[in-house]
Amino acid sequence: MELSNYYTKIWLRLSGAFCLLITVPMVILALVTFSNLKDAVIDKTELSIGRLIEHKKDVVSLFLEEKEDLLKILVGMYPIDFLGNQENLNTLFKAVNQAGSIVDLHVIDSSGSQLAYVGPYAKSITGKNYFDAPWFQEVLINGSHVSDVFLGFRKVPHFVVAVTDPLKSYVLRATINSETFNKLLLSAQIGPSGDSFIVNREGTLQTPSSQGQKELTVHDKTLLEHHEGTAITKTGETITATRWVKDGQWCLFVKARIEDSLGPFYQNRRNIISVIAATGISFLVLAILFSNYFLRRLELYDRKRAELGGTMVQMEKMATVGRMAAGIAHEINNPLQMITNQAGWIGELLPDEDPALVKNMDEYVKSVEQIKHHVRRAGTITHRLLGFSRKIASEKQNVQFNDLIEETISFVETEAGYNNISIIRHYAEDLPTTMADGPQLQQVFLNLINNAIDAVDQGGIIEITTATGTSNDIILEFADSGPGIKPENLKQIFDPFFTTKDPGKGTGLGLYISYDIVQKLGGSIKVENRKSGGAVFAIVLPVIKQG
Amino acid sequence: MREFNVLVVDDEEEFRDLTVKRLEKRGLKVLGAESGKQALEVLEHSHTDVVLLDVKMPGMDGIETLRQIRILKPLVEVVLLTGHASVDSGIEGMKLGAFDYLMKPIELEPLIEKLADAFERKRLQQEKIEQAQMKRHMAMPG
Ligand SMILES: Nc1ncnc2c1ncn2[C@@H]1O[C@H](COP(=O)(O)OP(=O)(O)OP(=O)(O)O)[C@@H](O)[C@H]1O
Ligand SMILES: [Mg+2]
Repeated sequence: MELSNYYTKIWLRLSGAFCLLITVPMVILALVTFSNLKDAVIDKTELSIGRLIEHKKDVVSLFLEEKEDLLKILVGMYPIDFLGNQENLNTLFKAVNQAGSIVDLHVIDSSGSQLAYVGPYAKSITGKNYFDAPWFQEVLINGSHVSDVFLGFRKVPHFVVAVTDPLKSYVLRATINSETFNKLLLSAQIGPSGDSFIVNREGTLQTPSSQGQKELTVHDKTLLEHHEGTAITKTGETITATRWVKDGQWCLFVKARIEDSLGPFYQNRRNIISVIAATGISFLVLAILFSNYFLRRLELYDRKRAELGGTMVQMEKMATVGRMAAGIAHEINNPLQMITNQAGWIGELLPDEDPALVKNMDEYVKSVEQIKHHVRRAGTITHRLLGFSRKIASEKQNVQFNDLIEETISFVETEAGYNNISIIRHYAEDLPTTMADGPQLQQVFLNLINNAIDAVDQGGIIEITTATGTSNDIILEFADSGPGIKPENLKQIFDPFFTTKDPGKGTGLGLYISYDIVQKLGGSIKVENRKSGGAVFAIVLPVIKQG
Repeated sequence: MREFNVLVVDDEEEFRDLTVKRLEKRGLKVLGAESGKQALEVLEHSHTDVVLLDVKMPGMDGIETLRQIRILKPLVEVVLLTGHASVDSGIEGMKLGAFDYLMKPIELEPLIEKLADAFERKRLQQEKIEQAQMKRHMAMPG
């Protein structure tokens, strides 16, 4: 539970790190791209707004000049007597006003009184004198005048163009329909929320704003400063271009909402986002798959290392324990020798005594024998522990394990028979022979079979299996129908002196010696409890060819 | 049992003296030596059939002493006895021609048996040599 939690944590961190690693650069890239794209769109809008205002300025100027020029031609061509005649003016009006943009024509003499008029407002203006009007004075001084837009008597917006003849003998004045003029600007609109209009110097709108703006905003007013050429300013979401026209009397405004030109940008952005989302998701899946894979490897590796660590620890422990046991055995052998010598000496001297004088003669004799017996016991232990005889005799021959086991069984068959224990053999027919120390291995088999005999009850079963392993080795298994080994004992079962048998019945050296022998022959021995009950000892030994 | 001469070589006095005493009580002729050097001296000056030699001794150790004995008295049999079994010294000792390699603790009976066996071998060996010498002697034209 604890462990899986640990792996989950690693998995989360790993896949999290991968996701961050992938998504963060992608998101940054996307954001930068978006910002660049947007800037490009804004630049483009600014460029087109600049071009547009330039064009509109030309159109407006041209329109005004055209009207002025027309009037100038007229006053140049016709003397006051001719134009002052109402009939002539009527004819002329019809001739020049085919487009319909001229609302009326006035002919005024230099003293300001009206000579002739053609147009819809004839009644309301008869008998008017214009001498004091500022525009009239301007015409007399400058030769021409173009007025701001104003609502005429009928509340129709219009403006006035007036010129005088070179002799300044009279003034020809035309009222121009603003509607026509407005139309010129209408086409100057960029996007549905764009705007374009003209204001005079005071900021009064000369043409209507298509967005319904009635007067200039505070910000717009700051743009009214006189400037050469086109000025483009960007405030928030709006780009405003301004351009002075008509000798600095009117200012042309063209406005565009950035929003309106962002359509393609949004489309682009949607595309990019979906591409990023798609790649992001596939990377996410990859990251998760990789994390899973990595984690599985990690778990496997950890497990292998733990196993390896386990056997290493076991081997080291056995080596240390073995060295210690041998050291102790060595040191004990000399005192044991002295004990048995001294006891033996007493035993040899006792017969020289007068039996009449030694009351407990029999007891002494018995006691001496007991001492010798116990020294023998201790000696057996130290000798087994040191593997004295086997070390000296050790010698390798070509061994057939089936035969060797069979021979070992013959040593214990009688004893097994008494207890009604059956020994079942599963021998591999084609078991290869190998170079090994036969007598020593026989000792191992004897230990294992004796242990099994001790473990099973009357009528128990011992199964011995031999088989060829997969990596040029031989596997020997000794299984029994006994109670098996308690899990808590599994770890120390090969330790010297580990025994569950009564004192004097088992020294706990059998498995230790077996382990040592197998180990020195380059093999391994392992114990397990069988699912079907009982213990199974498995020995693996390498196949070594003679020579 | 035949009477024969034994030399007990051991640096531990208690063991040496007691072993000498006990072997004598069994009717053997026994001497003791506390080191390899002393053992070689004794061998030179008195008749010895079998040497009981401790492997681990200070100064000249058992194996070295054995080597010297083989040079000095090739016919004398040597039985090695040790509390410290070491594979190397055991194998080495057997290679150098020791009669056997015994491990402490050992009781007197089996020890005497071993010594007797060693003496027996020595006796046979000597007999063979004597016979061979005799044959040569007789074959020589008078
Ligand atoms: N086949 C088995 N089934 C159940 N327990 C076993 C089996 N083999 C060994 N054991 C346990 O392992 C312990 C150690 O075995 P080991 O052979 O090393 O010593 P021993 O049999 O007690 O004494 P020794 O073999 O030295 O006479 C035994 O006391 C026993 O508890
Ligand atoms: Mg056992």
